[in-house]
Amino acid sequence: MELRVIEKTDTELRIEIAGEDHTFMNVLKGALLEADDVAAATYDMNPEQSGGQTEPVLTVKAESGDPLDAVEAAATSITDRTDALRDAVTAA
Amino acid sequence: MMIPVRCFTCGNVVGEHWEEFKERAREGEEDPGEVLDDLGVNRHCCRRMLVSHRDLVDVVSPYQ
Amino acid sequence: MTEADFDVEYVERDDRSARVLIRGLTPAFANGIRRAMIADVPTFSIDTVRFVENSSVMFDEMIGLRLGLVPLTTPLDEFEIGDTVTLALDVEGPATAYSGDIESAEAMVEPADENVPIVELKEGQRLEFEADAVLEAGKEHAKHQGGVSVGYRHLQRVSVEGDRGEFDDEEPRILRGVIETPEGEVVATDEFGNDLSERYPGKEVRVEDVPGAFVFHIETDGSFTVEELLLRAIDSIEERADELRTKVAV
Repeated sequence: MELRVIEKTDTELRIEIAGEDHTFMNVLKGALLEADDVAAATYDMNPEQSGGQTEPVLTVKAESGDPLDAVEAAATSITDRTDALRDAVTAA
Repeated sequence: MMIPVRCFTCGNVVGEHWEEFKERAREGEEDPGEVLDDLGVNRHCCRRMLVSHRDLVDVVSPYQ
Repeated sequence: MTEADFDVEYVERDDRSARVLIRGLTPAFANGIRRAMIADVPTFSIDTVRFVENSSVMFDEMIGLRLGLVPLTTPLDEFEIGDTVTLALDVEGPATAYSGDIESAEAMVEPADENVPIVELKEGQRLEFEADAVLEAGKEHAKHQGGVSVGYRHLQRVSVEGDRGEFDDEEPRILRGVIETPEGEVVATDEFGNDLSERYPGKEVRVEDVPGAFVFHIETDGSFTVEELLLRAIDSIEERADELRTKVAV
């Protein structure tokens, strides 16, 4: 996983997450959209059909606060869930 | 030639059931469908692998 | 963030095949787990073969392909992606070379099925080779997929709306998957021939998806158990989330 910030303002972020595919990006997007301070979140696997760009690009728009913090919070919420799910699977 | 190791469609291992299937359904008198049920080959993609197979080693071996 | 609250229940359970009901998942998360089980959980598979002698009726390449498809047991705690294990086979005709004849340098990595025929050998024919099995993920090559026909459906809630009209035809109501009965029981549809009119004769029934409840159908090729596959898929998502968090925090 290689991160490269393409564009960053106070409330908006475009970041390339190299080496990932729908498996993780969609989970991440889903987690971002559940957060209250995220106005919009999406990802694109093949932005604008551009030649060469084949790594996913994540776009986050924050309602308030830094969008990078929102991404960090989303990652935490994913690990919280995987932890809980692992416990539930082991217990079943 | 030899029974495929896996089902082409789903990737389930079917090769291991071939000899029993051949013995019971081809050389024996049992109903092929019932033998397949018995072997646990449930999906029709896997079933056709066994039903439609023909061993060809005996046919090609004289031409080595 | 929402408090994660999961409920996991095995509807059917075997070493190699199971149906697991998981409540509390989002569709994105369910799909992430499914995809991770198929493409991201690695298994051992023969990748390189050095033939010493092959006088069978099949070419080296054909045998190489068959060997790659033979599932090998994979203890994931002991190995990392890219690790190799050497295997060997030496069979002389008249005999059939089986996957069970393959000898492994590592007792933990061996053919998961013993009865897969590799090639039938006639009098005077011989097959001898040494092979390297590599631990790789399913996205590199399908032969490394540990999960076979992994998928999920929604849990379907069946409610009885009342009696069917006296002169209405009794029509079959075909349904596949797993249902939740009005009594709260979880029942696989093949228990009543996938036909709701068999279970609720003369009743008017309604079927709806239960939000957040997914029934996974998981089968493995024998490399590891179903539970191992599911847990490794969850781990793989977690690893990536962890990596993202540390990289974003910097």
